Amino acid sequence: MKPPLFGLLLAGGRSTRMGRDKASLVIGADGLNQGQRAIQGLLPVCQKVFLSLRDGQTAPEGCEHLEIVRDNPGISGPLAGILAAFEREPDAAWLVMACDLPFVTPDVLTKLVQARGDGADFIAYASATDGLPEPLCAIYEPSARATLQRHAERNHLCPRHIMIEEHATLLELPPSCHRALENMNTPEDIAAATGEKQIHVGWFGALAEERGCREETVVTSAQTAGAFLEELANTHNLSGLRGHVRIAVNDEFAKPDHPLRTGDKVVFLRPFSGG
Amino acid sequence: MSFLIKSHPIDFESLRESLTSPDCGGFVFFEGRVRNHHEGREVVGLHYEAYLELAEKEGRRLVDEVSHKFAVRAAAIHAVGDLKPGDLAVWVGAAAAHREEAFTACRELIDAIKLCVPIWKRETYTDGHGEWIEGCHCASPH
Repeated sequence: MKPPLFGLLLAGGRSTRMGRDKASLVIGADGLNQGQRAIQGLLPVCQKVFLSLRDGQTAPEGCEHLEIVRDNPGISGPLAGILAAFEREPDAAWLVMACDLPFVTPDVLTKLVQARGDGADFIAYASATDGLPEPLCAIYEPSARATLQRHAERNHLCPRHIMIEEHATLLELPPSCHRALENMNTPEDIAAATGEKQIHVGWFGALAEERGCREETVVTSAQTAGAFLEELANTHNLSGLRGHVRIAVNDEFAKPDHPLRTGDKVVFLRPFSGG
Repeated sequence: MSFLIKSHPIDFESLRESLTSPDCGGFVFFEGRVRNHHEGREVVGLHYEAYLELAEKEGRRLVDEVSHKFAVRAAAIHAVGDLKPGDLAVWVGAAAAHREEAFTACRELIDAIKLCVPIWKRETYTDGHGEWIEGCHCASPH
């Protein structure tokens, strides 16, 4: 009989390139953040889903209900989470999934699960770009634990290299899902993948006081500066954005129909009171 | 001919020097100072903040516009930060061959600055309460 399969959602990364926690990033029109989307994918194919976090980290929004597996101290990266999961449930197989793979479809996970049972320690997809194993959407059977520990002791912490060395079973991505394992590391990745834009917003005066910050970065699908204003006014219920407000884009006055591009800086201007 | 935004206290002496010229017989300057009352309430302090990148750009544009329109030498400097009643908030100067253009240009420049430059002030009253003050926007965006 095959060992039970548990899901491990890896959310312990520091998201330094994204500049914010990747699991709580909302991508797409359904309003789900990346963590929630990953949980939705894992639940149908796993008996239970656990959340992998580093030491001291709190669960991202939408993931609070999952049981938490803390990284083993002493090693860093995804291997710390995977080893901690095996420590918790040594007899289970783990479907390990990073929280920044918004294009993973149910088909992708089902195919992985169906490939179990041929005695392999690791089952992973071959990357569509370089053919190398994709270790962060992969199954680790209980028999993989000792192998992982052996590598960790030699300070081999890269799961991809371990999978190459250990001849992981490699699957081809379903033809319709060749982009399924593209991950989102930077705001530009998100923009390219979804058509959504990353906008830097500056707040001044009464608006800064009402919003409670002086600058922030917002992901939006708004096409124009005016639509973006509407969106922010509604999302945050900002009374200061209603009424007479002018808009500046990239430090120039702009009309409401000014088109927005990713990376733009937008400032909303209440009536001035200098002098 | 420049427009500056500086932390309080502002030093306008060098601007003033830069405007004087042997061909200018009339020199008018305006000092906007913090008033200790607003709509019947006693004001104990003012905080000014500016959207610096746009404010400097827009201020320079206004100075250029007035300079050309009246053939004057003009400049202005505005303070940001925490000011007390009596402190200098803005200084505007215009020098021309004759006093009439100097008066008109100086008046027009301070009016335009108040309308068009993204600077905001927050008044603090005797009870410690504070409020952002809002004037009006430039009628037509450029």
